[in-house]
Amino acid sequence: MHALADTAPAHGGRRAGVVAWLLLAPLALWLLLFVVVPMAGLVVYSFCQRDDLGRVVYDFSWENYARVFDPIYLKILGRSIGYAALTTVICIVIGYPVAWYIARQRSPLRERLLLLVMIPFWTSFLIRTYAWIAILKSEGLLNGLLQFSGVVTAPLSLLYTPTAVVIGLVYAYLPFMILPIYGSAEKLDNALVEAAHDLGAGPIRAFSHVIIPLTWPGIAAGIMLVFVPAIGMFAITDLMGGAQVPLIGNVIQNQFFRARNAPFGAALGVVFTLLFILTYALAHRRRRATTA
Amino acid sequence: MIPLPGSRVITLLLAVLGLALAPLRAANKEINLFAWSEYFPQSVLEGFSKETGIRINYETFASGEEMLAKMLAGGTAYDLVQPPDYIAEALIKNRLLVPLDYTKLPGVKNILPEYLNMAHDPEQRYTLPYMVSTVGIVVNTERVKEPITGLVDLFSPRYAGRIVVVDDARELVTAALYVLGYPLNEINAKNLAEARPLLAQWMKRIKLYDSDSPKTALLNGDVDLGYVWGGEAARLWAENPKFAYVIPKEGAHQFVDVMAIPQGAKNIEAAHRFLEYLLRPEVSKAISDEFPYTNPNGAARQLLTPEQRANPASYPPGDRKFGTFRHLGETGAMIDELITDLKNAR
Repeated sequence: MHALADTAPAHGGRRAGVVAWLLLAPLALWLLLFVVVPMAGLVVYSFCQRDDLGRVVYDFSWENYARVFDPIYLKILGRSIGYAALTTVICIVIGYPVAWYIARQRSPLRERLLLLVMIPFWTSFLIRTYAWIAILKSEGLLNGLLQFSGVVTAPLSLLYTPTAVVIGLVYAYLPFMILPIYGSAEKLDNALVEAAHDLGAGPIRAFSHVIIPLTWPGIAAGIMLVFVPAIGMFAITDLMGGAQVPLIGNVIQNQFFRARNAPFGAALGVVFTLLFILTYALAHRRRRATTA
Repeated sequence: MIPLPGSRVITLLLAVLGLALAPLRAANKEINLFAWSEYFPQSVLEGFSKETGIRINYETFASGEEMLAKMLAGGTAYDLVQPPDYIAEALIKNRLLVPLDYTKLPGVKNILPEYLNMAHDPEQRYTLPYMVSTVGIVVNTERVKEPITGLVDLFSPRYAGRIVVVDDARELVTAALYVLGYPLNEINAKNLAEARPLLAQWMKRIKLYDSDSPKTALLNGDVDLGYVWGGEAARLWAENPKFAYVIPKEGAHQFVDVMAIPQGAKNIEAAHRFLEYLLRPEVSKAISDEFPYTNPNGAARQLLTPEQRANPASYPPGDRKFGTFRHLGETGAMIDELITDLKNAR
């Protein structure tokens, strides 16, 4: 997009503009059909009511939004944010060194390591989650290994716990942290780090004052790609958490398919989306502030 | 900025997209079947297609509520749906089902009389029973040595963290109502308020909620007790008789999953042919072989092996009467809110 905007004037105005819009048209149409139209529908639904079968009745009401701010749902939202934040932090702590290490390798090895990060995507996400169930269950691989090596005598209760949920979330989203940080770390000029050392910065100071700011765009992108989807995830809490503790994604899904209350589900969805936009705006401002 | 096309353009675009995606359909050459997952053996569907040349598109759901939501959303014109009894009742009340043509269904004589003219369809005009099941307690008797006879035993503190229950708000609330001695369909604010502290205690002890496959956690040894669908319990017992099935002494209900033709069905003729096929004793028996729920088809039951008929989860011994769920309407939302709140309070 930047390239188009930069080169357009050189070719002289209108015709290039038309070409640019034509090139953008498939994307615009896709966004219109699958983002704008459904979102508009969601907003309309959120102000409606339901009949006793769960069909949407087009009578205006604020009721759904009043219910969103009931302490029950605020607490769930708070917990969802907590889980997502923890997942994001763990992903940064694990992902940053990995991304940095890969970015510092020479060419053939670097590509192979990157491939390793991406190989899990070749299998369905649900199948990989079931694989974790096989690992964590009480007669599973991990407990078998721990008992065989004599670390524990009775099997540990791992599956269907909050820990299992966090393991599942970190596992699912780690590549989305590694890849953007790798992108930033790869572009980082080693001469800048050497310069920091020459000017007397120790390793910690060089890291915090030079490396972190220079790779911040990658970290910020990673945070967006991990934090936002992790809040809404529902499959992992159901499968690995035993559906014990609801997160906001579970509640929204339940409103549509179990409670048959689409208007309330829509209201939750709208508030949730506004929250995403807010997060994005904040992250964006932070990024602009640091690059300026 | 992109000039936004008017709503007519959007409608047109959607229509074009819909046309492109709609498969070419020849009338009564295929059936859009919307049914529970894990409920139709592949051999039964293929057998019908081979015999009649009618293709079956088997789309699945995981709860009666999900079925209703997707059916009312109207994405696909289903020819056959498989609602549980209380959802069928709501569909009948709202005139969303097509009456069955019994001249095309002579096999209905195979259905045992106790599964006909039930509360959800008193005149038996709209539905045919497919399979029946109770909801009861499964005990891994190798790990649990004490006798378990009812819900109070199941949810006692000594089994904290060792219990799986179906992830179904109404089932949980019903269990609490049984213990309190209330009829299972009397869902109101007063009864729910009484059930609340009891459920709050129970839910602290539940390890896992799973409606799709509660047997998995029991087989894996992650839990030792369960409050599950009878059909799941029957499969566990068939796998290993250490999994005992107990009908709770406080009370138990059964559900009847029925077959029905929704309004808007395009292949009503073919749907009737499939229903008649399902009523055949040998076909119904083949379903029981794979999914050992309680078979309402008397002629099919006679084809079952003695072991199959002895399965206490498929055919509970004794002649206890079981209640059934009725359509709830508005109060259903109170149940969902209560369980969400309690799950959240842990």
